[in-house]
Amino acid sequence: MNFFKNALKMSILAAGCLLLFPVRIYSYIDPGTGSYIFQIIIAAFVAVSFAVKVYWHKIKKFLGQLFAKKEK
Amino acid sequence: MTPSEGTVPSSFRDPSGFLFWHQNELYRQVNGAYKEHYDHLIASGLYRELQAEGMLIGHEERDLKLARSGAAYKIIRPALVPFISYPYEWCFSQLKDAALLTLAIQKTALEYGMSLKDASAYNVQFVSGRPLLIDTLSFEKYPAGRPWVAYRQFCQHFLAPLALMAYGDVRLNQLSRLHLDGVPLDLASSLLPDRTRFKFSLLSHIHLHARSQKRYADKPLKSKQRPMGRFALLALLNSLETAVKKLHWQPRGSEWAEYYGHTNYSDQALEFKEKIVADFLERLQPRHVWDIGANTGVFSRLASVRGILTVALDIDAAAVEKNYRQCRRDNEKCLLPLVGDVTNPSPGIGWENRERLSLLQRGPVDTILALALVHHLAISNNLPLGKIAEFFSCLCRNLILEFIPKSDSQVQRLLATRDDIFPDYHAAGLEKEFQPYFTIERREAIAQSERILYIMRSRSHAGR
Repeated sequence: MNFFKNALKMSILAAGCLLLFPVRIYSYIDPGTGSYIFQIIIAAFVAVSFAVKVYWHKIKKFLGQLFAKKEK
Repeated sequence: MTPSEGTVPSSFRDPSGFLFWHQNELYRQVNGAYKEHYDHLIASGLYRELQAEGMLIGHEERDLKLARSGAAYKIIRPALVPFISYPYEWCFSQLKDAALLTLAIQKTALEYGMSLKDASAYNVQFVSGRPLLIDTLSFEKYPAGRPWVAYRQFCQHFLAPLALMAYGDVRLNQLSRLHLDGVPLDLASSLLPDRTRFKFSLLSHIHLHARSQKRYADKPLKSKQRPMGRFALLALLNSLETAVKKLHWQPRGSEWAEYYGHTNYSDQALEFKEKIVADFLERLQPRHVWDIGANTGVFSRLASVRGILTVALDIDAAAVEKNYRQCRRDNEKCLLPLVGDVTNPSPGIGWENRERLSLLQRGPVDTILALALVHHLAISNNLPLGKIAEFFSCLCRNLILEFIPKSDSQVQRLLATRDDIFPDYHAAGLEKEFQPYFTIERREAIAQSERILYIMRSRSHAGR
């Protein structure tokens, strides 16, 4: 399960980034701008899984309550 | 060699302040430009918290009269680091621990409304067996919505070399010596095996990150970039932490890491050698020792358990890794294992070749242990005995040296594949060549072996 989750996550990210960053070669490299912009993109991406991790107990509790109500 | 006066050559890039020596004391000038951040560091409680956790070097505020320029806001005296080491001298776990410390500090800083403005591996030093941030001026007030300015530097200084060591070859850590601001990500990306593209953390923080750097290389940053929230920043740090924690390297099977398994010492001779070395150390009472060719630190510990600050230098990353893990496990405070080749010691690098000190510039040390080393230098490396003596005399005041004669099987093994062009390689020849540089104070034969241990005192550093 984890493997498929990971594979899916990576494929979406890779496809997105390939579109965003086509390969080009420059004679002078200033890595500052690229790093700055990239971290905003990657942070938005990892924030989703981070949110699940941080709020996992609350999500579990919420779902538990939801299903418990339905059963009633 | 510690200068008594002048600015520290590695401390000139940061406009926030710089380090300087005055009357054999090290001070840091904090400039007015950094006032707001320094005050917040102290007033917010962040400094106290990091101090309590043993993460940041301590300092005391001193008289402003010591200021070196009118730009000064404060003068502080940081605690002294006994031995400065560099990332290209660390084993895998040392670099990993330094990386995790940097991330832990950044997370704590955010809780206090601050952020690390740089994530240089050179800002971390090993003190009392643990990594410690030594740059008090690395913090700035965190402006809400701003991405982490040190993200690139963290990836270059820590993540890229760690990934290269874990997935490529542990010796690739030496790339840090070539690239002062960390391993360029495009280089790391091209050197890492393809399978690392299937690891989410490495795909993103190295491969795609490198691609992004190329993509935006000639484009200016627009003034109104999309902001990055605090939660997203914490997510990024969490992702980097996971990436670092997932990197592993196991030392195994190297020639030296298994050394003591196949020496020709009998248990009794080894015990006898330990006893003589311990006795020599008691006699010399050094404050600092460098054990050169220390292997996993068996003999270094004879010094460090006596409270002597000991640097255990070895060429083999696996032996150093084993040594460091033992230090960490046993909470050893006086031993610092480092990777280094004494036949090609760390040079001075950076601006004017002075930003990072050469190994020689970090000496001379009170005492050097050179046990079972000279035959490697003389026979494997064709170094004349006189040259070896001259080198050691520059590096130390006292020398504890073991001589292994040609008849010993260890030396015979070295001679098996080369012509014996070393007619002067014998105890008398060694003493003759060392005499101009050292006075030989004691000479002890190691029982049940043909080896000899010497205490020598350097003539050039006599009386210092």
